[in-house]
Amino acid sequence: MKTIPTLRDKKRYLAFEVMSEKSINRQELVREILNSIISIYGDKGANEINPSLMSFDGKFGILRCEREKRVETRTGLGCINNIHGIRVSIIVLGISGTIKGATEKFIQQTLINKPEPEKK
Amino acid sequence: MSLFGSKFYDFYTHPDNINLMAGVGKKYGYSGLAAMGHDLNEKTIFPEDFSIYRGVKIQAKPSRIREEIRKYKDSGHILIVEGGEEEINRAAVETEGLDILMHPLEFNNVLAKAASDNSVSIGFNLGLLIRLQGVERVRELKTMKTNLKHARKYKLLLILTSDARSIYDLRAPREMAAISSLFGMTAKEAVDAMSTTPLNILRRKSPNYIQEGIEII
Repeated sequence: MKTIPTLRDKKRYLAFEVMSEKSINRQELVREILNSIISIYGDKGANEINPSLMSFDGKFGILRCEREKRVETRTGLGCINNIHGIRVSIIVLGISGTIKGATEKFIQQTLINKPEPEKK
Repeated sequence: MSLFGSKFYDFYTHPDNINLMAGVGKKYGYSGLAAMGHDLNEKTIFPEDFSIYRGVKIQAKPSRIREEIRKYKDSGHILIVEGGEEEINRAAVETEGLDILMHPLEFNNVLAKAASDNSVSIGFNLGLLIRLQGVERVRELKTMKTNLKHARKYKLLLILTSDARSIYDLRAPREMAAISSLFGMTAKEAVDAMSTTPLNILRRKSPNYIQEGIEII
């Protein structure tokens, strides 16, 4: 059954881009994001932030977090430096209230502005 | 957030590939970087509206630091001393002409006062927070907290830097501000530390500048 609107979790979606030396998979990224947040804010803080990865395609992704904890989530993403020895940096492209908004406004826009060179 | 509308600079990087670093810095929203120990006479291609400044990192014995600073004072480069023990910090802060004292370990009110007199900015090295984990990160956070407390009391200029060795260490200004909130810096202070203080240093380095308050127009 649907929860009534006033009792729903207030959430935000962060569109982010991953820069890495080699390709990384979804599972590794999820574990690293959780590890980073827990390492900074502890178990209680991680529960309050309530992060969950909605989608990730190897380069762009969308992460859900609590509305009041946007800065904390950003910190967690910013402190990620390597995943199993592969050097990584994550940049937040923007924050939106809906998955659709985050995808259309930030991820597709980036792709239109800078088309990926796919010559190999 | 209109706070993040200004120009941003990162004044402490050690790039391995300066062209790549400039491209990524531009993408992240920076207007300029300062590269330590890089000769800029090479064939470097910078993106538009992006500048790279040369920085000099002074590493010497406490007794030699004063001479070294005087030597480079009029060169137009950005002078940085990596802080450490109290003797080094003291020698650095008491010499006029130094721009940034980076991450001093034993900072106290006497040093803070001297830094305020000689308009030396205090650098916070966020690269340490990004790279380290666990007990070591806690130690660095404690140092930064103490430094921030003294800097606020004596109204010192703050500066946030990433100490990036490669493009994977660089972070966008908003991320830098978020990370700096770990040791209690407000968003306003963080933005000032990335745009106002660097612009102030650049103004002092320009050939038209003579003394505080006197400038050729």
